[in-house]
Amino acid sequence: MQDAVLAMLAKEPSHGYRLHARLRHSLGPLGEAMNRGQIYVTLARLERAGLVVCERADRLPERPERKVYALTPAGQERVTAWLAEVGWPKPDLAEFHLKLAAAAAARLADPVELVAAQRRELLRRLREAQQAALAEPARSGAGLLLEGVVLRLQADLRWLDACERAWSKVDDEDEGG
Amino acid sequence: MGSIVLVVRLVLADVRRHKVQAAMLLLAVTVSTATLALGLSLRGVSDALYEQTRAATAGPDMVALSGDTGPAVTSALASLADDSEVVAHHGPYRIVYADLTTRDSIASPVVVHGFAERPGTVNRPLVTSGRWVRSGGTVLERGFATALGVGVGDHVTIAGRSYPVVGIAVTAATSIYPWGAQIGPYGGPGDYTGLAWMTRSDARTLASSRDLPVTTALDLKLRDPAAAEAFLDAHRDSSLRVTFRTWQFTAEQDTVILGNSEPILVVGSWLLGFLAVTGVAALAAGRAVEQTRRAGLLKAVGATPGLIATVLLTEYLALALAGDALGLVIARLTVPAIASPTASRIGDAVGPGGATVATATVLAVAVAVLSTLRPTLRAMRTATVTALTSTAHRPRHRPWLTALSALLLLGLRLTARRPGRAVLQACSTATTVIALVALLTLYAQPERGYGLDGSTALPNLRDEHDRRLTLTVTILLITLAVVNTVTLTWTTAMEARANMAVARTLGATPGQITAGLSTAQLLPSLPGAVIGVPLGIGLLWLFSTGNPAEPPSSWLLGAALAALLATAALTALPARLAARRPVAQTLSAETA
Amino acid sequence: MNVSSAVVRAYGLVKTHGQGQSRVRAVDEVDLEVPQGQTLAVMGPSGCGKSTLLHLLGGLERPTDGEVWVAGRRIDTLSERALARMRRRSVGFIFQAFHLVEELSAADNVELPALLAGRSRRQARRRASLLLERVGLADRARHLPSQLSGGQRQRVAVARALANDPLVVLADEPTGNLDTAATLDVLRIFEDLRSAGQTLVIVTHDERVAATADRLVSMRDGMFVDDTRLAGSPTRGLGGLIGLGG
Repeated sequence: MQDAVLAMLAKEPSHGYRLHARLRHSLGPLGEAMNRGQIYVTLARLERAGLVVCERADRLPERPERKVYALTPAGQERVTAWLAEVGWPKPDLAEFHLKLAAAAAARLADPVELVAAQRRELLRRLREAQQAALAEPARSGAGLLLEGVVLRLQADLRWLDACERAWSKVDDEDEGG
Repeated sequence: MGSIVLVVRLVLADVRRHKVQAAMLLLAVTVSTATLALGLSLRGVSDALYEQTRAATAGPDMVALSGDTGPAVTSALASLADDSEVVAHHGPYRIVYADLTTRDSIASPVVVHGFAERPGTVNRPLVTSGRWVRSGGTVLERGFATALGVGVGDHVTIAGRSYPVVGIAVTAATSIYPWGAQIGPYGGPGDYTGLAWMTRSDARTLASSRDLPVTTALDLKLRDPAAAEAFLDAHRDSSLRVTFRTWQFTAEQDTVILGNSEPILVVGSWLLGFLAVTGVAALAAGRAVEQTRRAGLLKAVGATPGLIATVLLTEYLALALAGDALGLVIARLTVPAIASPTASRIGDAVGPGGATVATATVLAVAVAVLSTLRPTLRAMRTATVTALTSTAHRPRHRPWLTALSALLLLGLRLTARRPGRAVLQACSTATTVIALVALLTLYAQPERGYGLDGSTALPNLRDEHDRRLTLTVTILLITLAVVNTVTLTWTTAMEARANMAVARTLGATPGQITAGLSTAQLLPSLPGAVIGVPLGIGLLWLFSTGNPAEPPSSWLLGAALAALLATAALTALPARLAARRPVAQTLSAETA
Repeated sequence: MNVSSAVVRAYGLVKTHGQGQSRVRAVDEVDLEVPQGQTLAVMGPSGCGKSTLLHLLGGLERPTDGEVWVAGRRIDTLSERALARMRRRSVGFIFQAFHLVEELSAADNVELPALLAGRSRRQARRRASLLLERVGLADRARHLPSQLSGGQRQRVAVARALANDPLVVLADEPTGNLDTAATLDVLRIFEDLRSAGQTLVIVTHDERVAATADRLVSMRDGMFVDDTRLAGSPTRGLGGLIGLGG
């Protein structure tokens, strides 16, 4: 979040409200949950870290909001570093995997049931993302982001299928033996 | 060597997988080569039978006949016997023109030859049952006796007097029944006449008692039988009216009765061969996709285009040659009955000659090559990858067919997609109608029987023979046409099954599908039937002598309609079977 | 009789394939009701019997046991002819392999069901151009299927399925042969149908296609193992999907 806000300022200094609008535009329907407060909290943190400076703009006296944020050289450096960075947002699979193992070991819950519940949850999310994606005009930036979300959820669902198969087999063997 | 093994193995596997197709090719080739071989053998067999009868009866090389009587004629004829070219002779003897009536009141003109009770060295009729002439008894020529239905021991009335039939015999001195009279009374033209023998004195009595016309005849044996024509030329400008009959002429006269048989069989074999090509081509086209795919597979594992062509052609050629051999055997077995419709000749028929075998084999090979050429070439040319993923080739859009109802739309699109097959169906129908027209025309001819004054109490053997042959050829043609129609409909139905299954999912009933497929097959038959009538008439006109009477147009119309109705019925059956296939199964098969 | 508003119903549905040892229960004791306007997705691995189920519901195959009701009428006992009529009026099929008639143009393909149902040429034509417009292919009406892309072909197939205003559209892996962009095109059309109140049964193994449904049934070895309502569940907002707190 901090890096994204910094990068948004790289082109030109900007008001907080304009930053918010630009972020929301890029995120499309996914950005609707983001409120302006979050932006100001982030900007305040960046200012404290010396990455942005706040200037008062007096040219627009009629507007209640007068703060314009700009990058410091340190901020500029941070943006360059962020763009060059190669990373992989880690999905948290281990936790669910351990949950299944623990549930099975302690006989607290049926792992297959847990998988099914997880699956239903992911499918509902997939449906939301899918419907949002279909509502987007073709080739919109937000549509592309939604596509990424959909594909990730799809991958998760396929993994859940694998989990279900594996745990069903364990069940069968238990019953059989 | 290895490639030969491979070719044989592939061919055998394919034949085993497509038994029906193999059987059909075999049947079609067998029928057409048998018919062709028969047609081509007739003349040779007729000659061979004459030759054998001539050998068995010491047939004369020349018969001299004169419608005049009296000592001048007798001495003139006798002087012929003195010619240095003549090595032996028989006669002069009397030929009496009379009427013969059987117990069943069948009446026929007859010529009675007055012969010695002990035959000489030339013209010794061979008695096939009973005994030779004796006083008061008569011997009938076998072809005549068979037509009359008379045997040894029966009585016949000749010129009002009853004679016991003491024997049945054959001779090479005259042509076969009903051309027993070589010349008519007083040297004029003769009618259909049978032949009987009596003793010399009985013949003389017969002639004088009723004052019947008599011809005097002399049988001659020449030093060089082949030079009969030369002998004839040397004696032609005699002042007396003497008619000469060389043995070659008599043999030629034998084939007159086969005059129509030959074109019926040969033209019939062309038509049969044509139907064979259409039928096998239809089957081959139906398998084109599969063949192309197989060719692709073979190419993929390194087979040369030559090997692929060899495999495809070998299969059809092997089957065609087997059919050819079978057809020749059938021709050999049936030729005596067909080449000798009368019982006037004896002997065994010889097998088809080299030329006949060669022609029949050419026909068989042509059927195989013509019907498989296109799929073979296509299979060879298609690139390997295309072949492996091959499905039916892409159709062209024919917008003018759009303006039709959904039902016809389905049927017609199928037809339009395969114009070649529509042509095959049209040809098949046309051929059938041609045969029907020929048959009807023959039946429409006024019949002139062999009895007295053209009475049909004695049937016209030649017309009967022609009708029987035409009927047989027509039945064979119709059989092949039926097989063709069923094959074409089935092939179309199999190719259309995906589209038909789709139509079923859209709510087409099996009945609609059947009607669509049936219509698709029936429509090309329509022009076929229409063209078949004039073609049949034209073909008859081409091969008939004189002016044949045309059958009533209602008959022709009926034949065309019957052909169409039969086609409709025949196409409905395979179409119905195809329409009954489960939809889901077809659709999943198409996807796989 | 159980009176229900469901457009499609099945009770104790069984379909076996093969004989003796190789006998397989493709559909095994399935009960199902699809109410008017619902989009139902049937998911499962290949060979689980989901396509067979679809064929049974559309009367393309006959069940070994059990009942199928479409539009308040029991169809498993109908004659072939009556089944064909039922399909004509009440069912529209969409297949993975499109199954367009290759000889017919896009418009002709869409007209075909209307013509089979006995509508006039003009009515059928008008309806076809309307439907092709709806699937965005008005300019491709004269094209043969071979001249269209996979996605366009499937859109023609969808238009054809809608030709007679069917009570239910049955789709068998409708996006199985399509790339992502074409899949989205087809899903957009399905979304339109859904919001227009069209009853839709989609068999698929693609989660993303299944997720567009109101309700999802999972099938394993011919049996239903899960039945989930996807629509109307409390949403935590799209932001949650990318870690933006709400």
